[in-house]
Amino acid sequence: MGIVLAVVLIAGVAAAVALGRDSGDSGTAGKTVRGVIGSEKAEFFADPDTVKALAAKGFTVRTETSGSWAMDRLPLKGYDFAFPGSKAPADELRRGSEAQGGPLRPFYSPLVVVAHRNAAEVLADNGLARLRADGGSKFTTQGTLLMGPYLAAAEDDRTWQQLKGASGHSELSGTVFITSTDPVASNSGALYLAAASYVADGGRVATDAKAVERTAPLMRKLVQVQGAQQTSSDAPFRDFISGVGNPIVLVYESQVASLLMSSQRQEIGDLVVLYPDTTVSSDHTLVPLTDHGRELGELLSTDPGLRELAVRHGFRPQGAAAEFITATADHTAYIDQRLTGVRQAPVPTAEVLRSMARRARG
Amino acid sequence: MNSGPGKGSPARRAFLPLLAAALLVPLAACTTDRDAGRDTGRDDDGRPSTGTVRVLASSELSDMEPLLEKAREATGITVRPTWAGTLDAVERLASGKADGAFDAVWLSSNDYLRLDPEAARRIASETPLMASPVALGVRPATVRRLGWDAGAVSWAQVHRAVAAGDLTYGMTDPSRSNSGFAALISVASGLSGAQAALTDADVRKAGPKLKEFFAGQRLTSGSSGWLASAYARRSTVDALINYESVLLSLNRDTGAGLTVIRPRDGVVTADYPLSALTGATPDARDAVRALAEHFRSTGVQREITARTLRRPVVAAARPADPLSPEQRRELPFPGTRSVADGLLSSYEHRLRRPSRTVYVLDTSGSMKGGRLAQLKSALNGLTGDFREREQVTLLPFGSTVKQVRTHTVDPADPKAGPAAIRADAAALTAEGDTAIYSSLAAAYDHLGPDTESAFTSVVLMTDGENTAGRSAAEFAAFYRALPAARQVTPVFPIVFGDSDRSELESIASLTGGRLFDGTKEEGPGSLDGAFEEIRGYQ
Repeated sequence: MGIVLAVVLIAGVAAAVALGRDSGDSGTAGKTVRGVIGSEKAEFFADPDTVKALAAKGFTVRTETSGSWAMDRLPLKGYDFAFPGSKAPADELRRGSEAQGGPLRPFYSPLVVVAHRNAAEVLADNGLARLRADGGSKFTTQGTLLMGPYLAAAEDDRTWQQLKGASGHSELSGTVFITSTDPVASNSGALYLAAASYVADGGRVATDAKAVERTAPLMRKLVQVQGAQQTSSDAPFRDFISGVGNPIVLVYESQVASLLMSSQRQEIGDLVVLYPDTTVSSDHTLVPLTDHGRELGELLSTDPGLRELAVRHGFRPQGAAAEFITATADHTAYIDQRLTGVRQAPVPTAEVLRSMARRARG
Repeated sequence: MNSGPGKGSPARRAFLPLLAAALLVPLAACTTDRDAGRDTGRDDDGRPSTGTVRVLASSELSDMEPLLEKAREATGITVRPTWAGTLDAVERLASGKADGAFDAVWLSSNDYLRLDPEAARRIASETPLMASPVALGVRPATVRRLGWDAGAVSWAQVHRAVAAGDLTYGMTDPSRSNSGFAALISVASGLSGAQAALTDADVRKAGPKLKEFFAGQRLTSGSSGWLASAYARRSTVDALINYESVLLSLNRDTGAGLTVIRPRDGVVTADYPLSALTGATPDARDAVRALAEHFRSTGVQREITARTLRRPVVAAARPADPLSPEQRRELPFPGTRSVADGLLSSYEHRLRRPSRTVYVLDTSGSMKGGRLAQLKSALNGLTGDFREREQVTLLPFGSTVKQVRTHTVDPADPKAGPAAIRADAAALTAEGDTAIYSSLAAAYDHLGPDTESAFTSVVLMTDGENTAGRSAAEFAAFYRALPAARQVTPVFPIVFGDSDRSELESIASLTGGRLFDGTKEEGPGSLDGAFEEIRGYQ
């Protein structure tokens, strides 16, 4: 069986390359590489400047999006790389495929919560969040989500109606909850549970079934209250920006930063960015499946032009922070450049996190 | 011409796996296939071809056709849509019937799809392209009569008005149309008092209120389009529940003047994700991605909101004029299939008004042989779909009405009614002339004066022209002389065999029904398909 699969895999790659040439895609670029990526990176790869920068290095990159945790269910034959939004699913992909060399982590982005102003103010007035005092500015657009009090409210099934100050806003009713993606299928949803369980278990990272057991009822609540969940982080953020959906949504900081850098101020609407006091960063991890895939990963990590483009899409490149700080200088009203006071929770192994997610969703 | 695609399709279906396999072998074979794709693309036969994306799409997205044409000009990619109801599309995905036949699905929402693991695993990526919440469109006179402040109405208030007999409305069939399904979820969440995603317990608790609420439903429909025209005919129906975009378009296009209300306590919103399928070729998936990028560009988003009155999904495009910027709570969609299906089943069998239908069936001499066999098999297929409490009358005719047999699906013994209908269907014989109009009049007489306690309708199946009994003019005079309450019953004629399409069209338009095509051999547009499609209107 293994041999048959390997043959099909090679044939698939040959066909993909042949198809690329056949339709004239490759042009001057020598290598067409195909990858499956978390949706949060789709705009980075689709950016004409990224395409141009990659072409200058001899690469034509074709991407398809998938929930990071659903990637292992895709037939990966014909792909040169997989690029989930975290180390944990990447580890799993490496075990399940013919990975070519170690994984590469060109950039990362912490999870944040976006809230509409009304919701953010009500959370702050009730001790679930703290808004940054902003000298002179009429509205504050950045703050901290207090994970301890928030989880306590979730435990109690607290509704907006029970919070003071919510009654004037018709969109604030029903149970208070953060919309996340499906933790079984999607990275940001799984990392939400990683952060929440760490806080709920008194600052301990879950390492075994017993630890999962301890926080299971609360994790289940955080997920079940949401009903049907999306499988990619792009969709809930789009819903949020278009003014539909839940008023508090878990997203990657990169999604927010990218929006800020590409939009006019008036197009941002009444956005408030809440950095959870304990959060998890998504380490965007490229798993090379072929040599070309590995070359691409190295290029993304080291090429200054591509690093700059990653920053333009809101990602924080590994290593020096200067690039990100310069690029977001105009947006410090929303972006906490140095993540001061934001604690990074360690992420459980893929196996533990997956079992946590299944129990929460199941 | 009509039977061609039906006859050809099994052979093509068998060929598809071969084609997929061929794409994995190197250059020479690929080139051949791609050429073949181009050739067949011209014939538009449903096979994959370069530059064409085959999309299984919600019927309500047909208002995007002008924008699909513009997308073709801008991207060089042709979208070949196949229109279907959302739930039907999910079923086709889950059963594997869509494998190899489509590159993408584009539904009002993937919420229901996600609850089905078999369907969900076939989605490779999804990109929401626009948004529209469920809303209530009410005649302004009714809003005044009820003393409502349109910005502050809740589902609880709507329920109170319906229960008091002060408000009637129409909505699409939740089993067949996503707008109806989203409306059902909105109403159930709103009336159950559920603070989070609906559970089975919430649905049970809300049962009595929901029953009162659905007693006010006067119109049901398999499509938003027919619902709107039926509403226009029926001045006694006060409101429509549908997507905000559908209601606002109705105002713009027909001057309906509806007051569009998004209930304060929350709505379910469609976000129209364009979703690539895992089985699509890499080229096709690239094309789907390019299309999604095109539709998400600011200029196209502005055009979408201006044309369709749906809400844009990029911050740079502002919603078109009549769209109120005020926010609404988004009601969580049920997280499990059992809640969603349980709600659907309660609606069908217990909550909604039952239906009373007369099937006026041509069994004249010309039906002898294959046609009669087709009719019997179509009726047989239908009996699996009847709802509890439903009353079904078979009225076969030739030169005159041959027999009038009525069966009710008894909730205590739901199999007995359908079994009796099957037995009656099996006993049908073909002989005599074709007395269409006299038989239709007999159907109206059979239904009688009570059109309140159930959704009443007549299905007319004939394979020829009227050759006996009353004339078309005499029937029109008969119909117009009926009291208004009895005129609300529509006739749904099916074109079959040698029937006269224009004659049937006149019957549909006279009675406020809709014509269905039953001329194909199988699938949509066949006699089976027409009977099945009409279920959404009963």
